[in-house]
Amino acid sequence: MALTKVYDAATVFKHLGGILNVYKPAGMKVNHVRNAILSNICKGLNEMEQREPRKLKEERPLLGTGTAADTVLHNIADQTDLSDHVLSTGPRYLPRDLKCSTVSNLGDHTSGVLLFGINKGTGQSSSIRRNRPVRVYHITGRLGSATESHLPDSRVTMRSNHRHVSADRISGLAASMQASHQRKMFELCGVDLQTQEAYELACRGLLRPADDSQPVVYGIKLIQFERPHFTLEVHAINETQEYLAALVHDMALELRTVAHCSQLRCVRHAHFDVRDSLLRHAWHLPGIIKNLRQQRDILRAHPQLLRQQRVELQATQ
Amino acid sequence: MFSSVIRKILKNSQNAAKYTAITPHLRNLRGQRTNQNEVDVFRPPDIPTKQNDKETEPVSQKTSTAEVALDFGKREAHVPSFNLAAYVNNSNTLQQFISLGVDLHSIEKRKGLGEFVLKLDFEKNVKPHITFLVDQGISPDDFGRMFTKNPLLFKEDLEDLQTRVEYLKSKRFSDEARQRIFTHNPYWLMFSTRRVDRRLGYFQKEFRLSGHDLRLLATREPNVITYNMEHLRKSVFTLKEEMGFNAKELSALVVRKPRLMMISPDDLVERFSYIHQDMGLSHAQIVQCPELLASREFRLRERHEFLKLLGRAQYDPQKDLYISPKTIVEGNNFYFVRNVAKSDLETFDLFLKTR
Repeated sequence: MALTKVYDAATVFKHLGGILNVYKPAGMKVNHVRNAILSNICKGLNEMEQREPRKLKEERPLLGTGTAADTVLHNIADQTDLSDHVLSTGPRYLPRDLKCSTVSNLGDHTSGVLLFGINKGTGQSSSIRRNRPVRVYHITGRLGSATESHLPDSRVTMRSNHRHVSADRISGLAASMQASHQRKMFELCGVDLQTQEAYELACRGLLRPADDSQPVVYGIKLIQFERPHFTLEVHAINETQEYLAALVHDMALELRTVAHCSQLRCVRHAHFDVRDSLLRHAWHLPGIIKNLRQQRDILRAHPQLLRQQRVELQATQ
Repeated sequence: MFSSVIRKILKNSQNAAKYTAITPHLRNLRGQRTNQNEVDVFRPPDIPTKQNDKETEPVSQKTSTAEVALDFGKREAHVPSFNLAAYVNNSNTLQQFISLGVDLHSIEKRKGLGEFVLKLDFEKNVKPHITFLVDQGISPDDFGRMFTKNPLLFKEDLEDLQTRVEYLKSKRFSDEARQRIFTHNPYWLMFSTRRVDRRLGYFQKEFRLSGHDLRLLATREPNVITYNMEHLRKSVFTLKEEMGFNAKELSALVVRKPRLMMISPDDLVERFSYIHQDMGLSHAQIVQCPELLASREFRLRERHEFLKLLGRAQYDPQKDLYISPKTIVEGNNFYFVRNVAKSDLETFDLFLKTR
């Protein structure tokens, strides 16, 4: 596979499509990220080589007064259609020429992996969304103060002592919460955990919800504890920022203290890792093209991201 | 007026049942309003003599095309259009504009300007102004950008323009300063001498500037002089009262970075509170490098936190390993990481991905 340099905007536009993995900074809305990406793509395309203005048709009737000094006639002899010039029609590529859809929505305070489907990738993005892959979050909580929305920027509602909290107690609680979430899934399916049926269901893979109405947590693990901050790794489907923040709040209440969520970071979305996501200073056309190619390789290596047999949350009769 | 109509309709309806009846009506009204905006069609100015006596009354689309259809010399030029591109092939003026590099597309997006540009005659309206600008020493390369920004310059009387230039001369602006002002702020020449004088007086009085400093400020950022006065007052208030710069610091800050006054006050306060509280820089240090306030907050935040992680965030010149705050906001990320943080880009990327 030989790589060649391309200077032509039309060629780039033709090959511009697929899944894009962007690192969303915290405090920036998804729509802002989307607009920034699209306008940067268009800026890049418009700076490349454009097509020349069209030629006028041959059998066009002569216009103007017909005097020799008439510049209009000169231009017609030239045969270039000036109404197709970049200066009169405006830039050749506009953000609305690109199709773009998000695979999942991240909240304003959440940073991390955000997947976009661009042009041909919009179909892929919706099939990834329909498959409901697991997302992995690193959530940092801060012990000692609770806030109104469980996020750092709202009003503090409670303060408390957290000397009695240790890493052991947090991980013990995390494990028991994980177990109860897993049990809940099987119960919602209508099977008893101690049966052959439940075993067979579990053999078929991760038990996933049929629709996106209910958040499901598959794993909670404490990965760092540095008083007053603690970091949890959460594997979940259908979660929202509010749900995860409330999870931290509830955990702290179980631990007989209070906490709020100081940072939310999505580190993995299916096979799309934070390591190959595109940082803000690389949001330009070459970077985006490179990233699209990387994600295409990932999709090729894991075809089940787009098509797979689904294990759904439904009563098995 | 339109909203008052809606309000009246809403007032009349008391119960929900009536609302449902009104919504299609409202939609209809709304549709009419958008239609009015859309049918903002340019009409070509050089209509043959037959129509000249009629030009005071609005001619309906049908009659104009019917009459013009007979004159097939310039038939296309009379079809109403939504953009200027349709007339380019037939209009000498527009062709000259394109060869000057004027972006007709961005002109036509602004209200009324498309029509104005279409009515210009290159020989009569445009050429004298261009020769005037050339006499002022403005390079022809800047014409495209200038006319794109402000095509209404051609509306001004040449004598007025000359007076405005004379005014600047009398205020001892040098030739280079005047060139810079006119190229960087095409709107400056639209302002009457009295208005410019009032503006300059405001700045001089507000910040107690000397004549030299005022000229420096006006030349450095000519846009500030003709900026929205309301906005300027607000940002001066923010700088003075909310951030607490004293008069002397304020004038130094404004002369060094006049652009601060054009930034939205909310952003400015956010940046200031980060610099002052989290980075711990004093007012005097901020005045020393006003670039900090001009840089976006996320940029400051990620660079400062990276330096803090490396243990290099040391902004006190009395101590070892001093890092000048000015260098933090200089250059792109690669430059910053290599020359200021003395690290490599992979580390910086990894750091950014943990936040």
